[in-house]
Amino acid sequence: MSHTFDPDLIHAIFNLVWTRKTLAEDDVKREGTEDLEIKEGVGTSKKNRPTTAKSNALKLSCELLRIFVTEAVQRAAIIAEAEGAGKIEGTHLERILPQLLLDF
Amino acid sequence: MEEGNENDLEEERDLLRDRFRLSLISIAESEAKTCELEISQPIMACISDLTFKFAEQLAKDLQLFAQHADRKTVNMDDVILAAHRNEHVATLLRSFSNDLKEKEPQGGRKRKKASKKKQDDVVIDVMDVS
Repeated sequence: MSHTFDPDLIHAIFNLVWTRKTLAEDDVKREGTEDLEIKEGVGTSKKNRPTTAKSNALKLSCELLRIFVTEAVQRAAIIAEAEGAGKIEGTHLERILPQLLLDF
Repeated sequence: MEEGNENDLEEERDLLRDRFRLSLISIAESEAKTCELEISQPIMACISDLTFKFAEQLAKDLQLFAQHADRKTVNMDDVILAAHRNEHVATLLRSFSNDLKEKEPQGGRKRKKASKKKQDDVVIDVMDVS
């Protein structure tokens, strides 16, 4: 339980995705509008202020990501142990990857 | 200028991915230690990339969920909803969210009560009008 992700780091990643998406949407808007209408576009983008997240929601996201990582390692470890290997290698991860992705 | 902006975002993404990898390695290694196994370096990079992409997808999902509920702020319900595919994970997250709520200082509860009162007021207003 002592090892987990830093909520600030996760927040930074989320913010990056959200700003990238906002920029992409602005580009689409700009392509379809004339010079006069750009001012209007700025007005609406103020309304569309970027998404934010509550600190509890970030902590919960950290927990979800932590579960994802531990599941990946544990499932790969089961395969590795069954094969008698001392190290988790690519083949072990390959075996568990499809079901892991279906489960999340 | 636009291109410069995109480059900045890419640089920031690489930076965040490296920071993400560092904290992931500590999680994965402590997990592997409980199984008395090691993880080879390329596989660690693989898991890190995989989880980073999962986090990015999660960000998109959470934004859409919040928007669908006419909110600008992602809350805990959105995160639980993001894990709805797997009941076990959803249950784990739900109990974790209950723990977080309990830990919250009393200020949170007061705020909730206050907002409830406001809602009651609104209801009364509507009734008066009708």
